[in-house]
Amino acid sequence: MKIWKSIRENYQNELILFGIFVGLFIVMGIISPDKFLSAGNLQTMCYQMPEFGLMALAMMAAVLTGGMNLSICTGATVASIVAGCFMATTFANENPAIGVFVGIIITVAVAAVTGLLNGVLIAYVGVTAMLVTLGTKLLFEGLGLVVTKGGSLAGFPPLFLKVGSGALLGIPYTILIYIVAIVITYFLFERSVWGTQVYMVGCNETATRFSGIATRRTVLLVYIYSGIMYGLSGVLISSRYCSAKTDYGSSYLMQAVTAVVLGGTSISGGSGTVAGTVIAVAIIQVVSNGLNLVGVNRYMINMITGIILIAVLIVRYVSGALSDKKKIRERAARARA
Amino acid sequence: MKKKLVSLLLSTALACTALAGCGGGSSSSAASSAPAEASGSAGASAASEASAAPSEAPAASEASSAPAEASGAAEASGDGYTIVVMPKLVSIPYFTMTGEGAVKAGEDLGINVIYNGPTTADAAEQVTMLEDYITQGVDAICVAPNDPAAMTSVLTKAKEAGIVVLDWDTQADPNLVDASIHNIDDKAFGEHMMQELVASMGTEEGQWAIVTGGLSAENLNLWIKYAKEYAEANYPNLELVADPFPTDESQDLAYSTTQDLLKTYPDLKGILGMSTPTGPGCGLAIQDLGLQDQVSLVANAMEDDVQSVLADGSLDCGCLWDCHDLGYLTVCVANAILNGQKIESGATIEGWDTPLEVLDEKSVILGPAADYRAK
Amino acid sequence: MQKVWKNLTKSKEISILAIIVVLAVCITIVNPNFLTVSNFFDIMRSNSIYGIMALGMLPVLISGGIDLSVSSTITLCAVVMGKFLQANPGSNIVVAILLCMVVGALAGLVNGLLVTKFHIPPIVATLGTQTIVMAAVLFYTNGMWISGMPDWFLSFGDIQFGAIPSAGKVVGMPIQILFLILVGIATWLILKYTLMGRGIYAVGGNVQSATRVGYNVSRVTTFVYIYSGTLAGLAAVTDILIVKQIDPNTFSGCELDVIAIAVLGGASVMGGIGTVFGTFLGIILMAVIKNGLVLVRVSSYWQKVVMGIIILVTISVDVINRRIEKARLVHVDVEE
Repeated sequence: MKIWKSIRENYQNELILFGIFVGLFIVMGIISPDKFLSAGNLQTMCYQMPEFGLMALAMMAAVLTGGMNLSICTGATVASIVAGCFMATTFANENPAIGVFVGIIITVAVAAVTGLLNGVLIAYVGVTAMLVTLGTKLLFEGLGLVVTKGGSLAGFPPLFLKVGSGALLGIPYTILIYIVAIVITYFLFERSVWGTQVYMVGCNETATRFSGIATRRTVLLVYIYSGIMYGLSGVLISSRYCSAKTDYGSSYLMQAVTAVVLGGTSISGGSGTVAGTVIAVAIIQVVSNGLNLVGVNRYMINMITGIILIAVLIVRYVSGALSDKKKIRERAARARA
Repeated sequence: MKKKLVSLLLSTALACTALAGCGGGSSSSAASSAPAEASGSAGASAASEASAAPSEAPAASEASSAPAEASGAAEASGDGYTIVVMPKLVSIPYFTMTGEGAVKAGEDLGINVIYNGPTTADAAEQVTMLEDYITQGVDAICVAPNDPAAMTSVLTKAKEAGIVVLDWDTQADPNLVDASIHNIDDKAFGEHMMQELVASMGTEEGQWAIVTGGLSAENLNLWIKYAKEYAEANYPNLELVADPFPTDESQDLAYSTTQDLLKTYPDLKGILGMSTPTGPGCGLAIQDLGLQDQVSLVANAMEDDVQSVLADGSLDCGCLWDCHDLGYLTVCVANAILNGQKIESGATIEGWDTPLEVLDEKSVILGPAADYRAK
Repeated sequence: MQKVWKNLTKSKEISILAIIVVLAVCITIVNPNFLTVSNFFDIMRSNSIYGIMALGMLPVLISGGIDLSVSSTITLCAVVMGKFLQANPGSNIVVAILLCMVVGALAGLVNGLLVTKFHIPPIVATLGTQTIVMAAVLFYTNGMWISGMPDWFLSFGDIQFGAIPSAGKVVGMPIQILFLILVGIATWLILKYTLMGRGIYAVGGNVQSATRVGYNVSRVTTFVYIYSGTLAGLAAVTDILIVKQIDPNTFSGCELDVIAIAVLGGASVMGGIGTVFGTFLGIILMAVIKNGLVLVRVSSYWQKVVMGIIILVTISVDVINRRIEKARLVHVDVEE
């Protein structure tokens, strides 16, 4: 009971989100019970959600420090293109196990390097994150174009496709990777010293620096971490589509921002939870998949996502204002007493 | 306690908002005319409005030979097949027109056509949507792939689910599709545009350039490739000045890029414009610079959008096939395959008047491109 | 003269100005066509659309906000005007422009209210309205182009002022550039000489102090979003006057370009900083890069790489420059 109370106090926002998620899930289930609730569809969602969810985690890491990462999608594609160049070689195809393993390592490593570039410019040069990542977004996209000349790279070892389409006991690998990433992110951000520093930087960088924390290093690591997350997403994307191309996943950018904000992360940094982002991703997934099943025009789906975003924020504000008022009243009553 | 109640209430209210939004979505889309109707009726297929679609359909179809027994998955919509036609993206004129054709064919044949696609030309979103439709259990999927390679796994999944798979507009993996609907043979089209350009230039020597919708658009790249190869082989004195110039499928950018281009290469004699916004965009730039007589432009364009640039010769020749027919033919072929008809040259299928022209056993060719010139 | 020079070197915009000069020299060496009046007019004409939107974005950024919905606002205004002109071909240019600006102002008002009344962070509120409005417009139009604008409207777009001989031709300044200049002057006057303008800087600098001094923060914030929306409306007119047709898809995603222009010109996304002069330099830089990449014959595959690098270098140089300046100031303090 006590645990429940503390959860309710500390995770009020997440509970509301979860309520919305359950509500939407039920609504979709009522609209098309045979399709939406079918095992096949639930599995399809498990295949679809991770690549977007990892993008959202990558975005969230940057937003927690008060920054923004507009280069997540092009960073992921450039990484998978570099890895794709390796995996399309005859060596990789002849030694699929090594080829795939090295390919995945290359993707994540290149993504980490792109994150490093962002991080250095943001933390050490001191340019605003939004602007740096706007520049690197163009840069990565351009590099991908230079390598591929606009086409797509294909011819990867068939084993690689298993990553994105295989399943362990009916549970897709993709969702397993996603869950591991969520758990690691949770412990890193909400349970580690570094995580606490990240939140502090997001709240007030100057104060954090003067309390003896190497803020620059903290921020640099955040962007590298962000890079690793979108690198993993890049692995899943290129594996699911068994190819690599510059514009894969370009629609995830603004959706990731939406998910992060919907999840309750403050856009100015310093507050937000992994759970919130994960639930928000699930909400967007359910809306998109559910409405798609009943054949709603894609633009209507975008619109509904936008309405949900604005509505949640209005609700959040109104309920916050109400609870403030209540607190004031209680305090006034106590003072009178 | 009160606080909890409030938050609970609010979240319920929110869920209702979303519901209302979605309800509004399907009803408003049913009300509007264009291809939105496809999605509208699709949305309705699950809701109570479902009765409207089938009751309309048999009336429209004279030959309702579409057997009901095969429509296992489409139980919600009564008899008739459910065919998904997915463009590269929705809400650009080209795919709006093809959508109108596809929906019209659905009405004429008495089958359900769902015309829906992603909002950006992103393969990831397209695959996601296709997966959803496979789950939904449709009878046929006709897709215009943003990227053929990315489609392979999802189309395999569709085949495994017993769904008839077609591609149109852009070729997917030929081993996976039951038929391909081609506007035209890509090679023939690229060469045709090149021939038109040389004819408009009136000379076989000089500089020329390519303006394209986007560097990563698969079909545009194919046309460019064939046009370039044809030029190298047949017009050795033509000089291609640079790599294709991308314009992000935007008329504004096509306009300013062409202006820059004409300043950089003052001796330019011809421009080849791939993708429909380049026709009006490049044409307007030539018009504004007053170079109608010096520079020839052959480009893709929607006929209605280029009347003013065609009139004074800024655009010498617009090339495009009948978009409406492309969508129409796609649905007809899908329907014929579902009815167990064999797709071969000379075959006549329901809803399509002329005998089919089939290449490589699978590629159904719509017919030659329509060229439009100044009237 | 010396004083002007000193002021210039001291100003924050010096680094971006230097980069423009360097780029211009490089481009001119490769292609002398670059440095002609007619080329300048051409590139400024096509970039005036972005310029006008960036000038609308400037006060928003100065006040510490951001407006991601300019792309949807300009699309909305363009479509509304297109439909209006088709229905009323006998209207006149003043009505058309006013209509666009009013529609834009209303869209801005919604943003302003979301930000002030419901305390939604600007980036989120405008992302939401952008998604909703853009989806609605594209759903309504199906992306079909609107053409067949009346002749009186199109000929208004061909008006040129003055006659300057350039490269063997006589060119005049297109009316679109006049729009840009007028908007620039108006924005400068508002920011510099009105109470509202000073309020914008104050709110962006420090909300608490601004409130204490007596500025109505809500009113200032609402104003900047309305202003941004209004200018997006005007940009819609400017665009149609150039391309003569309305393509509802053209501007999806342009908000990042607009923000980039304003920020390259020295405005800070943290608020409190930014000038009209700087924004103009931002417009020119963006225009020069786009134009120059073609003129110096950079392969199209490399264009985005080069553009990304130039943006990164420009903002880094700017930041380092400011830091050196700050360090120098501190140094002086220590010496005293």
